[in-house]
Amino acid sequence: MRRLVSLTAAAVAAGLTLTACGFGGDDGGSGGSAEDGGSTTLDLLVPQYSDGTTALWEEIIASFEDANPDVTVNLEVQSWDNINDVIRTKVQAGEAPDILNIDAFSGFAKDDLLYPAEDVVSEDTFADFQESFIENASLDGTVYGLPMIASARALFYNEDLLAQAGVPEPPATWDDLLAAATAVTGLGTGVYGYGMPLGSEEAQAETSIWTFGGGGSWTDGDAITVDTPENLAAVEFMKQLIDAGATQPDPGATDRTPMLDVFIQGQIAMAVGLPPTIGQIEERSPDLDYGIAPVPTQDGSPVTLGVADHLMAFRNDDDKQDAIRAFLDHFFSTDVYLTFVDTEGFLPTTKSGAEGTANAERFADFLALLPDAKFYPSTNEAWAATQGALQSLVGQIQTQDAASVLQQIQASADNA
Amino acid sequence: MTTDTPTRPDGRVTRRPRGAPSRPRRGWSRWAATARALPWLGPTLVLIAGVVFFPAGYMAWTSVRDLSQFGVDNGPAGFDNYARLLEFTALPRVLTNTVVWVLGVVVVTVLISLGLAQFLDKAFPGRRFVRLAIIVPWAASVVMTTTVVYYGLDPFYGIINAFLVDVGLLDQPYGFTRNAVPAFLTAMGIAVFVSLPFTTYTLLAGLQTIPGDVREAAAMDGAGPWATYRRIILPLLRPALAVATIINIINVFNSLPILQVITGSIPGYNADTTTTLIFKFIRADRQIDTAAALSIVNFLIVLAVILVYLKVVKPMRDD
Repeated sequence: MRRLVSLTAAAVAAGLTLTACGFGGDDGGSGGSAEDGGSTTLDLLVPQYSDGTTALWEEIIASFEDANPDVTVNLEVQSWDNINDVIRTKVQAGEAPDILNIDAFSGFAKDDLLYPAEDVVSEDTFADFQESFIENASLDGTVYGLPMIASARALFYNEDLLAQAGVPEPPATWDDLLAAATAVTGLGTGVYGYGMPLGSEEAQAETSIWTFGGGGSWTDGDAITVDTPENLAAVEFMKQLIDAGATQPDPGATDRTPMLDVFIQGQIAMAVGLPPTIGQIEERSPDLDYGIAPVPTQDGSPVTLGVADHLMAFRNDDDKQDAIRAFLDHFFSTDVYLTFVDTEGFLPTTKSGAEGTANAERFADFLALLPDAKFYPSTNEAWAATQGALQSLVGQIQTQDAASVLQQIQASADNA
Repeated sequence: MTTDTPTRPDGRVTRRPRGAPSRPRRGWSRWAATARALPWLGPTLVLIAGVVFFPAGYMAWTSVRDLSQFGVDNGPAGFDNYARLLEFTALPRVLTNTVVWVLGVVVVTVLISLGLAQFLDKAFPGRRFVRLAIIVPWAASVVMTTTVVYYGLDPFYGIINAFLVDVGLLDQPYGFTRNAVPAFLTAMGIAVFVSLPFTTYTLLAGLQTIPGDVREAAAMDGAGPWATYRRIILPLLRPALAVATIINIINVFNSLPILQVITGSIPGYNADTTTTLIFKFIRADRQIDTAAALSIVNFLIVLAVILVYLKVVKPMRDD
């Protein structure tokens, strides 16, 4: 029996270990500054945009190290699912990377961990960024993030399905969209009018598309404002689409990627997509007869959700600043930069990049929308938590009152 | 479990003979023995301290600190993190879910496993093959198994949904994984499925330690199969049953992947257990400190559940 007792004790201990998981950190050396005769090691942490991301970065690093033999760059690639946890753990353990590629920078800037952007790139590089992106990359007047890639949203529509439903042209306003989507669902052939992904994957993007389209905003310039009349009107419109049966069933728990797959298969007539969606359609369903139009808004005036990811430099060790500047200047040199942006299929954030991109024609619909892009208020420190709350809560409008859902999200934002 | 202890036919463990020589200065010699063993125990103790006590202690420490969303320590927070937990409006639902999850999965798993173990204990042609087959859910990755079911239940391209529509059980595909209650039940079903092999094998091992003469004696005394099972087999199975139940409680309570895959995209907290809520606090709300507080609460709950189980069921009782 004593064995059983010790077995149980071991089981309790095992439970303890399992409950305790959450502490973790890897020993990827981030300190190695002066190893072999004045050489510098830079740690670079990046998310995986596509299957080719690692190879692309390795190529960039190789060409940089050829030109700068005294600098070694350690690359770490993480999935988007994990990178936030990884960076948090690293910061907590005092092992922040020297350069990080991620969406939001403001939390790190607020914790006073970052170099101002002007300190880590040359003047020429800095002057090459588009002004709208620079504005989106600053906090309290200081630019901390280097806008790296951009993306925008547009309405993808299935021309065959719209024609079958007697809709002559893609909808431009909310009312048009409701009518068109209801007509498609009404065909009764098992296809749905509008694909609305409010699952946890990217519900904040879908919601922003409609709130921005109704003149709403997530911030008043200072605090996060979720529960506003404009936002409520937009969310009520979303609920109206759901209640009218114009969307696919259970939009509250539908994630974006699988929903777009269903659009690509031709079972959904309209969905909001991104530049890479074009490539996915080419690859998986080249015969799909589709078009791209601006996202419908309340009154038809063009607005789109713009997203920019940033590069940022952590102030770990002052003697690394020159190496960081050399690397970032190398990355943003036109050829290297365009190789990255064009291969990954994103929109460039620099002026020279916009002129030189090989995808100008392919992404014309999106590039035209960029001047009307509105961004997440990612410089607001409470945005990350607001985004999380939108992801995990907004789908509840499927079954709950729109106002009370917005109040719950506002409460999370106020708590952050 | 008790292979080296002589067992009397009635299942009682024989006690040490009364006349055993008494040992003087027993305490001293025990301390000396411990001291002599220390160099050999040392590495294990260091390991236990490093992988069990340090992380647990660090978690407790984190739960009373004020951490920024990026992990920067902004000083002590007292019990603010715990207070925030108590104010969390969905907590009652999440706790209820947790109870349903643990109780449901463990009870169903143990009941099915009792049957399966009994079946596998009988000799029949092909028994070895069936025993192997039962290991499969254990050998397969939990995330993989869950993902297979998740895709199968997809309303647009899932084969399970398509099958149910084709045989006429459903008029149109149903979002089993898109609504809190059916998704939660689906996750429970998968949890039972992946818990069966371990439980069955533990119980089977227990069954095989029951000597045949006990059953024979019961038959001689005129006990029917049900009486034999209830009065002889089950009591002898108690140690194995205790181990299987306790380990299952801990495992199921702390299980994240199944619920994460099946209910991860469902909005709100209607399909969350405390374990997935910890995950949401970290991932969505960026509250590492609140998550740490909930982890501590989680740990206390699992400890309490096990203590209650030990107290009520008394699986360690010798008679």
